[in-house]
Amino acid sequence: MSYADFLADEPLIVTAALTGGVHGKEANPNVPETPAEIGRAAAAARETGASVVHLHARKPNGERSFATERFQAIDDEIRDRADDLLLQHSTGGTGAPTEVRAQPLRTDPAPEMASLDMGPLNRYDHLTSENTRATVDALYDEMADRGIKPELELFNDGHINEAHGLLERRDLADPVHATLIFGPGTLTRPRPANFLNAIENLPEGATFNTLGFGRHQLPFATMGILFGGHVRVGLEDNVYYEAGELATSNAQLVERVVHVAEELGRPVATPAQAREILGL
Amino acid sequence: MLAPTHCHRVTCPHLDYREQADGTRFETARAYCTVAEQFVQPMRADICQDRFDLDHASHCEIYRAHEEGQE
Repeated sequence: MSYADFLADEPLIVTAALTGGVHGKEANPNVPETPAEIGRAAAAARETGASVVHLHARKPNGERSFATERFQAIDDEIRDRADDLLLQHSTGGTGAPTEVRAQPLRTDPAPEMASLDMGPLNRYDHLTSENTRATVDALYDEMADRGIKPELELFNDGHINEAHGLLERRDLADPVHATLIFGPGTLTRPRPANFLNAIENLPEGATFNTLGFGRHQLPFATMGILFGGHVRVGLEDNVYYEAGELATSNAQLVERVVHVAEELGRPVATPAQAREILGL
Repeated sequence: MLAPTHCHRVTCPHLDYREQADGTRFETARAYCTVAEQFVQPMRADICQDRFDLDHASHCEIYRAHEEGQE
């Protein structure tokens, strides 16, 4: 994907990452945590332009849950309110064994998409989220068995190599869909040159999301829009609307990036168009 | 400091579950670090609880720094 795709008016897929599994209401009281809250947030994001929702589940006290039942409850709440949204379950899970991380793949029906973290990243000062190749392959194989499209999460340039490696080990359906992640720590350093380099090195024909953490969310989303990619925004990745001002909702962040796309002349994809672009 | 309102199984001795602190109130008691004196991130709570492969003595810099300061 490239600037030519932008000029060709390729519709923009907006993914809303509604809640995440790292921070919660202690960081921003507007982060949705219960299935009902996530369902309402998803519907509001759909109203403002999102076609995909990236989902994590939580226990009633906000802590991480990987339970199939909890994801099922979230999916049911969303489908009651916005039944055309594409649901993307997270399989991320620092410190959790692979079998636990596979539980979100086992809802009925299965989600159309699921995230696949492509390699290690540091957390805090003494912890690494490992994401070994064996874990990647095991999660991918269960996705393939269940007809779930993987969204390859590329936290840094080394993970682009890992994506190419997965393509050598497994036969992924076209197009490969990846998320390029920019921010602090183990993430790709958020600089425009690194964005351009990353999109040059993606597998042939891959579609990509652009994800900037924190204050980088909007600038990198804008670059994604201009270079024919897609965007992910939401309270999982950024709890602020601007410096010192907490975002009031996921929909607020979706609405802002949709406004930028419209100002730049890039049409925003409906869920049906998103399915067509992603080959679902 | 407000009194704890509820306790779960506590693995890190500095973990508490509170519904309110420092003007913040939650409907369900949440993980609170009595060393950092703040509610902790949900993922960090899994470290406090030694869930899965996580271990507060190995993975929590707050616990480790506090223990070193006690020696």
